Amino acid sequence: MKDPPASIIQGDLQDQKITGYQSALGVTQTQTVTLRGVQIQSGFTFDQVEVSYQTLGTLSARRDNAILVCHALSGTAHTAGLHPETGRPGWWDFHVGPGKAIDTNKFFVVCSNVLGGCDGTTGPMSPRPETGKPYGMDFPAVTVRDMVTVQAKLLEQLGISRLFAVIGGSMGGMQALAWAVSFPEIVRVCVPIATCVSHNAMQIAFNEIGRRAIITDPNWNGGNYTPDCGPNHGLAVARMVGHVTYLSEYAMTRKFGRTLQPPVNAAAAEEALFTVESYLHHQGESFVSRFDPNSYLYLTKALDQFDLFGSEPPEEALRRVKARFLVISFASDWLYPPAQSRELVRLLKRARVAATYINLETLYGHDSFLIQNPEFASVVRHYLENEYRHATSKQASAAI
Amino acid sequence: MHPGIYETVLNWIPDGARVLDLGTGDGAFLERVVRVKRAIAEGVERNPELVTGCIQRGLVVHQGNIAEGLDQYGDQSFDYVLLLGTFQELISPAEILREAIRVGGRVIVAYSNFAYYRVRLQLLFRGRTPVTKSLPQPWYRTTNLHFLSLLDFREFCRQMGVSSIRDACFNARGEVVILPNLFAEEVVTLLEPAGPQLEIKK
Repeated sequence: MKDPPASIIQGDLQDQKITGYQSALGVTQTQTVTLRGVQIQSGFTFDQVEVSYQTLGTLSARRDNAILVCHALSGTAHTAGLHPETGRPGWWDFHVGPGKAIDTNKFFVVCSNVLGGCDGTTGPMSPRPETGKPYGMDFPAVTVRDMVTVQAKLLEQLGISRLFAVIGGSMGGMQALAWAVSFPEIVRVCVPIATCVSHNAMQIAFNEIGRRAIITDPNWNGGNYTPDCGPNHGLAVARMVGHVTYLSEYAMTRKFGRTLQPPVNAAAAEEALFTVESYLHHQGESFVSRFDPNSYLYLTKALDQFDLFGSEPPEEALRRVKARFLVISFASDWLYPPAQSRELVRLLKRARVAATYINLETLYGHDSFLIQNPEFASVVRHYLENEYRHATSKQASAAI
Repeated sequence: MHPGIYETVLNWIPDGARVLDLGTGDGAFLERVVRVKRAIAEGVERNPELVTGCIQRGLVVHQGNIAEGLDQYGDQSFDYVLLLGTFQELISPAEILREAIRVGGRVIVAYSNFAYYRVRLQLLFRGRTPVTKSLPQPWYRTTNLHFLSLLDFREFCRQMGVSSIRDACFNARGEVVILPNLFAEEVVTLLEPAGPQLEIKK
């Protein structure tokens, strides 16, 4: 493992301000579509579901170059390019754009906010059609498969009947896996990153700490709170714990070490904060301003409940799979350790699914797919390029 | 490795075979196998930089060590398993060979012959650990764990219950036919289980 060059921007794009950040995509828009009659796994049927989504690049004449990007727990539909209001780059702007890992000159990228989320897609914060008041905890339990169901309906509306690829990290990786198993005819390439087929006890444990922090905040009030008086402390603590699990000891030592924050005034000097403390406070506060606490409860529950195979033997579920796989893990990721990706690869190989696996030696923990990461970008870009060339040459020879 | 070894392996593999290459490096040879033989191929390589090279070539590749790489495949997942130049670096060659036979019907192994006459001469007259073209590193840098001769390997195969159905020997001058244990610098051999033939599923 080697230190990255100093020119590389530290950290991800979600909760930090990078002055002078340029996106090759310029300003990008998100749109909203309304889906009608969506039934989810719990049996609940939504009369209507709003879906916030973004598309980048151009759909080819053959309609064979669509890539669905699935976001992780705290992601949004705003994948890449600058937000029209805030001017902030999308969460995956490092890797989605012209000439990037997911090349918008070649591919048509679709990303939507997940069901149960809080960035424009129907979730606990959305008003109930009957009452006009937010669902709150009356929102039905949501699963990763439900997220995929909604994405499938969105694609149907967009006139996309085949996906060249579905790609995502962490919770996004779970969605990618669910896509390959649930819609084998549609998905040609599946790229699950830093993910697993089901959470282990440690992953559930960290999520439960986050959930407890929220529901024991007096402002939570059984999930009935107003936006200006929500369980902000609870959500901030949840994010602080979560954020630590996304990093690595190396990343934290390199970024913060034991440096102290300069005191704001003389009175504060006695209780000088370590930089890492102040950073986590900032992460918590920034997250509170953009995320709904109930949504955090629902989405983390969906993660913990996720089991790609359920009661079905893995060989049987995977026998249906037609996609080819690129599985990526990161050696420094202790939240979704490489062993989980290897287990996935083993199941794929035993089911004779073509799977390429690489455990990248990126030092930045679980967040390694969200940061500037040339090795990661190179692997994804080349893999997608080769598979696309292969797919189009097959189509051409089939046409003859 | 001697270029003749690669040519020999290409000749031995039939068109459309399923091939697993253990220790595939940057994938240059496996790419040829895919192109020339239209093989359905996969590689296993532990070095992430080399794995990246394989991905750039469009190969299916698994990053991991050879033992772990083999463990994940079902019985007879491949027609041929290749162990080219990696054999003397394996911690437990017997285990790996047994696994390779389980996963593929046939196994092709290429190795350096430690009984090559130049190796013998260096040891005899210079009294030093030999450094040759096929054993290029000094003792403190070599990745080779085992030093074996052609006769050693044949004995090993007998003990393992596998038989060599073809082999080819090379030195700098080309293919070696006479006294291979003395004149061969590198050997490539095609192995299959001895006794009742396993059916190779297509």
